[in-house]
Amino acid sequence: MNNQPVDHVRAACRAAAGLASASLSKWLSRPVTITVEQVEAMPLEQAIGLLGEQEGTICGCAMGISGSLQGILVLLCDDDAGLALAAMLLGREPSADDEWGDLEQSAVVETTNIIGCAYLNAMADSTDSPIAAMPSPPWFLRDFAPAVMQSIVMAQPLTSETVFLTRTEFSIEGSPARCSLVFVPAPEPTAASGATE
Amino acid sequence: MNAPEASTTPSTPAATLTVPIGGLATARSPCCLRTFLGSCVGVALYDRRLHLGGLAHVVLPDSAGHGLPPGKYADTAVAALVSELEALAGSQPLRLTARLVGGAKMFAFQSGPAVGEQNVEALEKLLKQANIPLVARDCGGSKGRRMTLDVGSGQITIESVGQPHTFL
Repeated sequence: MNNQPVDHVRAACRAAAGLASASLSKWLSRPVTITVEQVEAMPLEQAIGLLGEQEGTICGCAMGISGSLQGILVLLCDDDAGLALAAMLLGREPSADDEWGDLEQSAVVETTNIIGCAYLNAMADSTDSPIAAMPSPPWFLRDFAPAVMQSIVMAQPLTSETVFLTRTEFSIEGSPARCSLVFVPAPEPTAASGATE
Repeated sequence: MNAPEASTTPSTPAATLTVPIGGLATARSPCCLRTFLGSCVGVALYDRRLHLGGLAHVVLPDSAGHGLPPGKYADTAVAALVSELEALAGSQPLRLTARLVGGAKMFAFQSGPAVGEQNVEALEKLLKQANIPLVARDCGGSKGRRMTLDVGSGQITIESVGQPHTFL
């Protein structure tokens, strides 16, 4: 991918992050900032190793995107951050005894839904070409970090050994939330509809 | 030991080498070889008599001529493992068996044949061509796996989050 589409996607991601920040702030009733950290094409191995040497368990909430913009969008967080997010939504203080029950999962699923839809709307607004993107219902999973990243990257049909990936980070009330939103669009030419003006 | 792509975790009783994405490692007893698998597939070759084993973390079914790193592709991983194990065995003939682990489809909304299934199919075909019996497999499903081959005993331990360990 040359620089022009990457620059465009970076701008679209910034717009999407702004809209998602506003939506999430409203949802959580506190200030949330979402910042774009990475928008780049990278080798498969590097993309799968995005979370570094982390080998423990992480939570992911994934939405498949179909239509003229295709790909996978995943909210990733460690247990503590995910459970803290769920506690905020459920109106209680986070506790060391918190565990992933139906309510906690549902809270994170709904958060992903809100962020994901804000993201897709902003991406659609950022291009002159009409984008018809249909998100799947969010899918919650809790698994080994390397296994989750493999599955995110390999969920798209591979046309090359390079993966285009965007990653954003969150802060809630000024503190890093240890959550990331990863978006892996399907390879071009399909993804080009969302990556070029 | 021949594991240029692996990292060592010396605190465990038998040294454990973590095989990275697309990597491969071979070792003689005592040693454990470990890798994490989602949609990727781990192929373990083992000689029970010589207590030699190897593990490759296969990402894609076909190298299409790229071939590097060899552990990354099904078609190059099997050949590279056999070659490294032959070097470890020296003049002694190898009697290898194979086991496959991984190839999960972790997201329910994925449609069509997943790359994990393609990796498993490619490896099964290649093992047959190489006359290496496939003696056990734990593939598919929706959970990630941590696969550990104990080169001393030949046992493979499979861990999945929230599930009891299983053994191959």
